[in-house]
Amino acid sequence: MFESSLCQILFYLLAAIAVLCAVGVVAFRNPVNSAMCMALSFAMVAAIFFGMGAQFLGIVQLIVYAGAILVLFLFVVMMLDIHDEDKSRGSYIHAAIGVLIAGFFAGLTINISLGLPGATSGTCPVVTMCDSFGELLIGDARATSETAVAAAPYGGSLPELSAAAAARMENPSISEADAAAATSIPDVKLLGKCLFTHYNIPFVILSFALLSGTVGAVALARKIRKD
Amino acid sequence: MIPLAHYLILSGILFSIGLAGVLIRKNIIVVFMCLEMMLTAANVALVAFSRAQGTAGVPVYDAQVLSLFITGIAAAEVAIGLALIVAMFRARRSVESTALNTLKD
Repeated sequence: MFESSLCQILFYLLAAIAVLCAVGVVAFRNPVNSAMCMALSFAMVAAIFFGMGAQFLGIVQLIVYAGAILVLFLFVVMMLDIHDEDKSRGSYIHAAIGVLIAGFFAGLTINISLGLPGATSGTCPVVTMCDSFGELLIGDARATSETAVAAAPYGGSLPELSAAAAARMENPSISEADAAAATSIPDVKLLGKCLFTHYNIPFVILSFALLSGTVGAVALARKIRKD
Repeated sequence: MIPLAHYLILSGILFSIGLAGVLIRKNIIVVFMCLEMMLTAANVALVAFSRAQGTAGVPVYDAQVLSLFITGIAAAEVAIGLALIVAMFRARRSVESTALNTLKD
């Protein structure tokens, strides 16, 4: 119980810092301050990934976003001679329109998320077939234990991770005692298995995209001789 | 435990802040940072869904693989985009989006 409440406090704290830093990226006039805020925001998102049990993605987030991409941004900011944005007359109207559109989008997302079944009540609603019309009803009182199934877009609390289930998935022939003795989820192993079996060809294509990106960056950024 | 809806709200708020930055800021480098933030917001939603749809206590790793692809593509995109910004600075001596008005005058 203590552990789960600590997890909750940490999540809301990290989420608040991530959102604050994201606001800082937009609000700061100096691009270097924006880049630093972006790095902090990405680090907080990485910590949230750790909290969700996606350790590998958290590490990747830290190395790629908060490491490599931040260095690239800072490199370009330092290389180019950039001065702060000047305040022109129309900029306040411009900013107000931008905030209005983004606020509308945020309200839409929050409304949809909170409208998911189970998002606020925390109990899992059930879906049942209505006999007379053959339509799906969510959270209907007529649900019987045979026909009732959990509603698919369930917005309630995430299911607990189970190390035993992960061990059984990794090695189907494992004995029940060995599975129960598993203490941690082999996150990287399961992710790698999925990546290199189901998504092998997209992975190779991604490597080509990275290669062409590197070559393209060099080709675009080199000095063009005028002769 | 934390409900899925709260992860989705965090993702939506981060995405909206990124969207606001893309619409408001004139400095193309900051606009690019905001684009990266929008991609990260999508990653948060994907990882949350991978946990939510997992049966028997194991996450669905397809969503996490998709999130890994997004990270990889974002890295390639940053390389290309920053090279384009450097090329634009060479041509226009400015990184403001308002400097791109050759067709206007």
